[in-house]
Amino acid sequence: MKILFLILMLFGLLFGGDATIEVIKKVDVLPSLAVEDASISYDDSFKLKFFKSIIADLNVLSIFNVDRFYRETHYNNTNVVASNRNKKYVLRYKMFEDDGGALNVHIKLLKNNEIEFSKNYKISRQSIYMFISHAIAFDINEFMGASSVEWMKRKVIFSRIVGPKKSEIIISDYTLAYQRVILKGGFNIFPKWANKSQTAFYYTALDPKVPTLKHLDIKTLKIKSVITSDGIMICSDVSPNGITLLLTMAKKGQPDIYSYNIKTKKYIRETTYGGIDVNAQFMNKDTIVFISSRLGYPNVFSKKLNTNEIEQMVYYGTSNSACSSNGEYIVYKARESSNAYDINTFNLHLISTKTDFIRRLTATGVNEFPRFSKDGDAILFIKNYKGQSAIGIIRVNHNKNYLFPLKYGKVQSMDW
Amino acid sequence: MKNIVLSSVATVLLLFTGCSQSEPAVDIKSNTETIAVVEEVKSVETEVVASEESMVSLSSNENASSNTNLSMSEVESKLPAIYFAFDKFEIDTAMQVKISEAADLGKNGAKSYSVKLEGNCDEWGSDEYNFALGLKRASNVKKALVSEGIDTSRISMVSYGESNAVCSDKTQACWAKNRRVDFKLLP
Repeated sequence: MKILFLILMLFGLLFGGDATIEVIKKVDVLPSLAVEDASISYDDSFKLKFFKSIIADLNVLSIFNVDRFYRETHYNNTNVVASNRNKKYVLRYKMFEDDGGALNVHIKLLKNNEIEFSKNYKISRQSIYMFISHAIAFDINEFMGASSVEWMKRKVIFSRIVGPKKSEIIISDYTLAYQRVILKGGFNIFPKWANKSQTAFYYTALDPKVPTLKHLDIKTLKIKSVITSDGIMICSDVSPNGITLLLTMAKKGQPDIYSYNIKTKKYIRETTYGGIDVNAQFMNKDTIVFISSRLGYPNVFSKKLNTNEIEQMVYYGTSNSACSSNGEYIVYKARESSNAYDINTFNLHLISTKTDFIRRLTATGVNEFPRFSKDGDAILFIKNYKGQSAIGIIRVNHNKNYLFPLKYGKVQSMDW
Repeated sequence: MKNIVLSSVATVLLLFTGCSQSEPAVDIKSNTETIAVVEEVKSVETEVVASEESMVSLSSNENASSNTNLSMSEVESKLPAIYFAFDKFEIDTAMQVKISEAADLGKNGAKSYSVKLEGNCDEWGSDEYNFALGLKRASNVKKALVSEGIDTSRISMVSYGESNAVCSDKTQACWAKNRRVDFKLLP
């Protein structure tokens, strides 16, 4: 009897897998990839910087087990570096500066010493090398036939506070390694891309007497005022065709959600609750999700536009104060502790509107500003932990998180 | 007999708790074989990645009240800040007294000015909800001022969320200072 019991127990232990164990198994079976530098120009410190950037991008793809060792070689060597012989793939690149000072990068992806894929890249200045690194990772991912990482090429726009009532709006790459200040001076916050092609953005100007939503065209640098509201004005989402905006305004003295048509310049009040309604996001063209305090604490609700149908979306967490949606999925920020006297923890959770499925995406620190990529493949967020801030990328379907440390100040708001 | 019953119950429990629907291993071969064999390497293409460098710089002419009216700043210095509890926008009794004092000032010494109520929050929740919380605080102060006899047309509101902190230490006392509504006089 005891033997039978022992056998059954062993059986149970062997097959009682959980999700974390499964992830480790998957990491082990990803094809290995090593990177070899064959650069001619540039000093060692820049070479290493570029190498680190490309390693980080390749890791984020989540389709390779990327080797982190830096190895140098000649671009035309027929064989890979000896220590990389056991690697399934080797990415070899050569950086050189041309007469115009532009950074050129040639790459080839090798498998069994044969060239599988090759491409050349060029960018006007060395300092914006990260865009080449992202483009290389994007192309290799396409070549491997993995699910698209189009979001890697998209720009992030964010605002940061630089002093009391002073802020800047910055455009960056998805790792925030490259940063270009687009709007300086004054108190301008909550930037939001105005269209899919990211050629313009909306933001809230708090310097005028009344909070004003403004529109800035990046190409012409022209600014125009869109709409104003006493007390609060935030553009929370823009419809995929760029015509309808979801705004938080206080036309009646208290924060409610409004939809605004930029063509007709007419708005409709979508919520009328006497507490707080904010952070509306399109789930599809007829339904929005938003944050409301109608249960006495902030939580996620949905509303069918042009009806009064409101539904509670989240049944977990006592303070869920921000969300982002993509189709049937909603990612929301939940406060795990409610304490006026101590450091609070905020984690991100993912739910599906079609199942009861809840997945906790982060475990420690203050995790905020969750933003789905347009295709829903990735979630961008900011993590503050032990006095350090980082930008995080969650590959939803790969069950992986990546963090890139942030060098400057606190992010006020972010859009992707 | 008891032992047999106990051990069989334990094994059944173990079996059910450790039930995994997942495939224990991922097929390495099927993963790698999906990589298409390239017939011929295409001619190498060059991608030029563009970037623009222009920027808008706004000079702060909005704040240009250079010849400051002394009496206005005098009045402003007498106006209190109204403080709130964590995650709350209700006004407590002590703060109600301060609002009454401010309303008295508004009806007498500061009769010719309008007031802008600036709602602020602590750093816990740097998102839209926090801005709305700041506005609800300003809105409640506005209601209290109106009930004290201040004309509603003299009052405007703005919420700064957590972005106008007066104190940046990570302490309870500091966070409490940031959960407030300030009075700013307008000519």
